[in-house]
Amino acid sequence: MKPVPLRPPRLSPADIPADPWRYLLYIAKEQTGPVALGFVLLSVSGAAWVLLPWTIARIIDEVLLAGTAEPLLPWGLALGGVAIASSWVFVAGYRALFMAESRARVRTVERLTDHLNRAGTGVRGAVSSGEMVNLSTQDAHKTGSFIFQLGFGWMGVVMMVLGTVLLWDASPALGLVVLGGVLVIGFVVGPVLGRLQHHQIAYRSSVATLTGQASDVVGGLRVLRGVGGEEQFSRRYRDASTDLRDAGYGVATADSWVQGLRTSLPLALIAAVTWVGARLALNGSITIGELSAAFGVTALVAQHSGAMIGMAQAVIAAQVASRRLTAFFATRSDIADAHDGTGAAGPLRDPESGLAIAPGELTVVVSAEAKPAEAAVERLARYRESGAEWGGTRLDALALDEVRERVLLLREDYLFAQSLGETLRVDPALALAAIEAAGAGDVYSSLGSTLDGEITNGGRNLSGGQRQRLRLARALAADAEVLLAVEPTSAVDAHTENLIAERVAAARAGRTTAVVSASPLWLARADRVAWLVDGKVHAVGSHAALSAHDEYRSLTSRQES
Amino acid sequence: MSAFDNTRLPVADRAAMTGAIKRLVAADRRSFTAVLLLYVAAAGAGAALPVMLGAVIDGIGTGWTATRVDVICGAIVACVVLQLVLMRTGRRLGYRLGERAAARLRESFVDRVLRLPLGTVERAGTGDLATRTSGDVGAVAELLRKTAPEVAVAMIEGAVIIVAAFVVDWRLGFLFLAGMPMLVLAGRRYLRLASPVFLSERAAMSEIAETATASASGATTVAAYRMQGERRDAGYARAATHMDRLKGIIRLQTWFFPATDLTFLTPAVVVTVVGGLWYLEGWVTVGEVVAVAMLTLRLDGPVFRSMMSLSEFQMGGAAMARVEGVHLMPDEVRDAAPEGSEVRLDDVVFGYGDGPDVLHRLSLHPRRGERLVVVGPSGAGKSTIARLVAGIDRPRSGSVTLGGVPVADVPLEVLRRKVILVTQEHYVFTASLRENLNLAAPEAGDGALLDALAAVDARWAADLPEGLDTMLGEEFHELNLAESQQLALARVILADPDVVILDEATAGIDPGSAGNVEASLAAALHGRTVIAIAHQLQAAESADRIAVVQDGRIAEEGPHADLLAAGGVYAELYTAWKGVAA
Repeated sequence: MKPVPLRPPRLSPADIPADPWRYLLYIAKEQTGPVALGFVLLSVSGAAWVLLPWTIARIIDEVLLAGTAEPLLPWGLALGGVAIASSWVFVAGYRALFMAESRARVRTVERLTDHLNRAGTGVRGAVSSGEMVNLSTQDAHKTGSFIFQLGFGWMGVVMMVLGTVLLWDASPALGLVVLGGVLVIGFVVGPVLGRLQHHQIAYRSSVATLTGQASDVVGGLRVLRGVGGEEQFSRRYRDASTDLRDAGYGVATADSWVQGLRTSLPLALIAAVTWVGARLALNGSITIGELSAAFGVTALVAQHSGAMIGMAQAVIAAQVASRRLTAFFATRSDIADAHDGTGAAGPLRDPESGLAIAPGELTVVVSAEAKPAEAAVERLARYRESGAEWGGTRLDALALDEVRERVLLLREDYLFAQSLGETLRVDPALALAAIEAAGAGDVYSSLGSTLDGEITNGGRNLSGGQRQRLRLARALAADAEVLLAVEPTSAVDAHTENLIAERVAAARAGRTTAVVSASPLWLARADRVAWLVDGKVHAVGSHAALSAHDEYRSLTSRQES
Repeated sequence: MSAFDNTRLPVADRAAMTGAIKRLVAADRRSFTAVLLLYVAAAGAGAALPVMLGAVIDGIGTGWTATRVDVICGAIVACVVLQLVLMRTGRRLGYRLGERAAARLRESFVDRVLRLPLGTVERAGTGDLATRTSGDVGAVAELLRKTAPEVAVAMIEGAVIIVAAFVVDWRLGFLFLAGMPMLVLAGRRYLRLASPVFLSERAAMSEIAETATASASGATTVAAYRMQGERRDAGYARAATHMDRLKGIIRLQTWFFPATDLTFLTPAVVVTVVGGLWYLEGWVTVGEVVAVAMLTLRLDGPVFRSMMSLSEFQMGGAAMARVEGVHLMPDEVRDAAPEGSEVRLDDVVFGYGDGPDVLHRLSLHPRRGERLVVVGPSGAGKSTIARLVAGIDRPRSGSVTLGGVPVADVPLEVLRRKVILVTQEHYVFTASLRENLNLAAPEAGDGALLDALAAVDARWAADLPEGLDTMLGEEFHELNLAESQQLALARVILADPDVVILDEATAGIDPGSAGNVEASLAAALHGRTVIAIAHQLQAAESADRIAVVQDGRIAEEGPHADLLAAGGVYAELYTAWKGVAA
């Protein structure tokens, strides 16, 4: 099995709307069916909730006050039916919207996954890992959950309208009080309470700071325990903790009003309705049952008026999240893939540094500073746009896929959460050979001496040296026509480095290989050495010939300077 | 090298948790009592509304005057105002109480973490501890500040409403209890099932985040190895798993919501129907039936809120058990008093955890003030020697001593004045450069700090915008690998120990400048015992003595020239390393 060129399906230009509002609409449209079902079911459920106290009121009037048990059976059954409907239909609607929200979240995650592939290296520097976490979790959630919140808000509206109609029917005055009260609670007082909660946002950022400090302590615990500074950091944490506690006291003052009013406002409305209703009942305008209905309906409607506030907040939050997502979807690949040339051959040349990699040879690039040498090979592998050429053909005139397939750049590459075998991407025999050549036998044994051993993201379950050798093994296994390696053995001991250099040179015999390193162990095996000074090729020749220069010698074997 | 033993830290059991809660309550007993009383009173004022409605209804039936109705309705309004005042005060006190308790808990957690034995920290990795610090400590604060008061308020409200029903009429009160068995059954089942369901959903979400972050961090690798197909599969698979977990939640809620609804819907129907019959029998009044029926509807809120908080409450409790768990760690007894700073390893046998021996009867005696370089292939046990000398691990047999006593028995405060280990893994604290250095020497002034930086050739420090006050760390000024290594070395110079162990401490510094750093460092550490573990041989040549470790044993030992002359392992390695330049 050769390395499988697992190519992504050629992605058509993204049809994801760039406008945040349009993106929300786009998400919702995909879920039209369940959303519509959810809204219908929640409307039915909302109506049933309001009918519950109304049915109780009918029983009060037509059974108790009428003094006859006869209508009790039908009304009792009706009450039971309304009770069951209110609860079960609600759950059915909740379920439909929950599924719509969940699918919307999943779709956003899938779109993020595809976009990461589409934008490729263009995402470097465009998003931090923290932002990536937020995009794929919080933002995906918020852009989905507004559907859910809209459903609840809608249910609140249905309850308010039906409640008003039922009470209006008994007495317009009652209807007016309920409608006015709910609107005041929902649309005037609600946002004011929301504003009070802004304290919470500042508080949350203090919480994050404190958590950061504690994580800092844990992250550097080895230093703190090994070198000292526990007292200093303990004091620092206590101070920040005390600050947070005091900030919390501030939140307590505002938040207690929010919590208090949240329960008291509906009660106040109930009190008002009760008072008006009691006077109306006293002069006989409404029945006792209707007074009870007024109390019960108001209680339920007022309780759900909060959902209408939630609806507005959720939409705003969704728009903010959607803006972040669409901004990410707008990132583009930083390497243009405009041409489709193929079949280049000959030496790779980087005019900017003058570096040339001859075909079929092992070239070692020596540089006092790592950066310029790395930049040069990045240009040769086309990770940066430049005038680099391959045997006279400009690299940017070639199809990007052709370059990626034939030229492999090895540096601090990422190790994904995969098994060892999946990481190496070749059949077991070749994989083991690559492990051997890269001196990564201890990686294999530390993972249980099986290619099924799992590596965690970033190779965190391996040591720094092990990660480096595993990356090298992967690059060797890929068996690319051209391999450009940046400091492939910087974290390896001399003994092992010697073995690796020997084996890699043998494994790559006759193929084009370039290694950026100042180690004599590599230099001794180089067919050709390119010595870079200030990012330009200063001299090219054999290691022995270049060693005549004092500066070169001090760079490659420091002790003699 | 790869001693990644995931020994977990302990988690508090029931007894330890009870103790912790008792301590938190005891520390604030008066506030705690006051808060509970306020909640009860506020709930009472709220429950008075339906009761007074019943009174008004019966009053209208028995011919009350408008004034009398107005008085009672006025009393209802007064109850609302009273409820607001009581609830607001209670919430405020409760919030502050929770905030204090959370602060106390997290401070003692961090203090404890700062006293964890070195070996434990190394063994548990930072993973488990980091999760407890970043996730659990915050979750506990949330529990104490929000969830616990929320559950308390809801439960008290529910209880007071039930009591109110009995106050109106005890027979109707019993009807009120019709939904209770359902509540208990559903609640118990939910508590048993909910946490794993919610936790697995959260775990699936973190996996999504981790996969997406990996794809982003490894974008270049994806491009180089053309892994787009794999990354797509991985991302889609995570999304699909998350969908499954979300379905788990909805399955749970599909039975749980109707079940909790039944706890008040059942009494609503029963009270109305049976209460209606009892009225016709003349046992109760209309007002009483209405009052109790309306009380059932009032139960909706507290039942729903307490049930919704249940799983959060439970998860908060689990987080608290993990936070409290660190207090169960036994303290390490380190009470030996070393005389002098001579380091000796004699016949040391060592292995990690239950693993095989890594060192086999290894002996090494670094002399005072000598520069000893330890070389050898990866996995030979070089770093293990460093950890033993630094007192992180204890040998299985044989001895590792400092000034005549076992290093692992020397109190850390004493040990770090004598021995400091610098490894490849550096840490830069999110703090100013001064704070980052001062931890090694709290009393050191700016002059000393700058000298230490100069001694490790850290020229970049001079270019920092705010000098020693420049904030370091990811969000501020981020140091590269070489700079962090220099920072770590500067700390050592400030700490000024007698013995310094450098385990590949300059591995990340550019080949062009590593020489300068090493030279300045050597000058600064002159007169100290330096044990340098190196994979590059240039450090070896200038050493007083070289020890070659192979397969957990010292294969060769001696000065560079002697070893070269002996023609053994070292000579072979050296010749290879020098290549044609030799």
